[in-house]
Amino acid sequence: MPGALSTIRRNHWHYAYLFILPILVVFGLFRIYPSIQTLVYSFFDINLVAKTMKPVAFRNFVLLLHDGTFLKAIKNTLVFAVFIVVVSTALGLVLGSLFTSRMRGSALFKAVYFAPFITSTVAAAVVWTFLYNPRFGLFNSILQLLHLPTSSWISSSKDALASIIIFSIWKTVGYNMVIFIAALQNVPESFHEAAIIDGAGGIRRFLTISVPLVAPTAIFVVMYNTILALKVFDQVFVLTAGGPADATTVVVLQVYKQAFENYRFGYAASMAFVLFVIIISITVFQYRLSRRWEVSY
Amino acid sequence: MRAAAFPGRLTPAAAAGRTVVYLVLVAFGVIMVMPFYWMIVSSLHTPQNLVAYPPKWWPRPPVLTHYAAALAKAPFALYYRNSLIVSVISVGLSLLLGLFAGYAFAIYRFPLKGFFFFLILATLMVPIQVTSVSLYILMARLNWIDTFAGILAPDLASAFGMFLISQAIKGMPMDLIHAARIDGAGEIRIVLTIIGPLVKSVIATAALILFIESWNDFLWPVIIINSENLRTIPVGVAFFRDPYDINFGPLMAAASIATVPMIVAYLFVQKYIIKGIASTGLKF
Repeated sequence: MPGALSTIRRNHWHYAYLFILPILVVFGLFRIYPSIQTLVYSFFDINLVAKTMKPVAFRNFVLLLHDGTFLKAIKNTLVFAVFIVVVSTALGLVLGSLFTSRMRGSALFKAVYFAPFITSTVAAAVVWTFLYNPRFGLFNSILQLLHLPTSSWISSSKDALASIIIFSIWKTVGYNMVIFIAALQNVPESFHEAAIIDGAGGIRRFLTISVPLVAPTAIFVVMYNTILALKVFDQVFVLTAGGPADATTVVVLQVYKQAFENYRFGYAASMAFVLFVIIISITVFQYRLSRRWEVSY
Repeated sequence: MRAAAFPGRLTPAAAAGRTVVYLVLVAFGVIMVMPFYWMIVSSLHTPQNLVAYPPKWWPRPPVLTHYAAALAKAPFALYYRNSLIVSVISVGLSLLLGLFAGYAFAIYRFPLKGFFFFLILATLMVPIQVTSVSLYILMARLNWIDTFAGILAPDLASAFGMFLISQAIKGMPMDLIHAARIDGAGEIRIVLTIIGPLVKSVIATAALILFIESWNDFLWPVIIINSENLRTIPVGVAFFRDPYDINFGPLMAAASIATVPMIVAYLFVQKYIIKGIASTGLKF
């Protein structure tokens, strides 16, 4: 009965559209429309109080190129991303490979390492403002007890960015580790057994078996950490607010300040658009690179 | 470490290797826990012990004055209420809309299906950090600034949650749905009473992940909230901090109030959170 079948199908179309309509409305209004408007607003001067929009063509983008603070923010964001991606991924892989399911207490270790990741970045960063305090902070006290040179941490323009990076590695390394543990447990045990019989040591097996076979996972972790790092805001806002002297300012912080402190919404939109272009191009580049790398077993 | 493949026959070298592994893991574990430990200990220290050198590792005597000061300065119960309202509505709606849309994408064939699916997942590529400025302008037009609706607007649905649920439904046998249709069950009832319970473990995983993200969310709430009585916990804690105040006692008490209940809850469900995140990844 082709007639009946097509009635059912058309009937199902109604349900299909009914079921996806709410999510489409919500996303269309609050995600997709603002995404497009970010580019549109980049070409305007916007005054929210007077409710006026003045077209300025490419002026916002030209100003960006001469905005020393913004260029500094881009540089800091990229430096931050490189350190987070390299150190946090490598450390996550090394820590993850130390785990075996048979090890006593492995669940406890996992829970402990993962705890910073589920904690509010703001609350954790507030605690670290105390740890980092040059006079009363725990870090300098320990360094002093060990007769090592102390640091001004977030108060010094030289060490502030490194301090934010250290905090962020502490915050995210547990996530990377958990993802790598899951991937490493998928590596067939027989590979290791064969290598042991052939006389390969632990480090050799790590480099020749574990590392190549978790490469696809490593690519995911690198891409995830890259995007997370390029969007960094919370810990910078709390730990340094971009200071001292813009030493730690990042792109999202500049967007925030230009829009919600200086009320230059068009200018801030052009910064946000640049951030979008950076995120997309790096992600696409990493994805392309990863396609040449795929391993199968 | 992998020498454990042959249990019961640990060579001295393997035993030494295992000890080193334990020591490394314990050392990093101490680093991971130390900030939490120091937060709680400091919040209970007397003002003298708080700034003592060498540092005091145990609060002796423990005092609650910093907690009294923190609670006098900021309404944390209100912050908790606001965070709960935002997270529960956001997670609940995201799962409900995700269940229905996920079902539609998994089961039905309809015109422009691929396009709509792509459109929804494409939102993952444009994070709130990029759209916040234009979203704020939209909120100003809607008069939603400084309202719960404004805080919730970008998080009423979740592409990540919908995707997870849709994948789970795809893996289910169609016979169940056919049987229910023959029994005369309507599509809405099928989704709610048959599909929902069948994918409940995926829904639970998505719920945990979305809840953590919503609970800790900061950038959009700090943009859209002006008045103190709408502040969520992260916004409240961020503004609790006075950068020029060097009395860290009340600040550590505030951070403890904000995080300890979550950490305790985490200890109970950490197994499921870690398993869920290991198997799904997180949304971007």
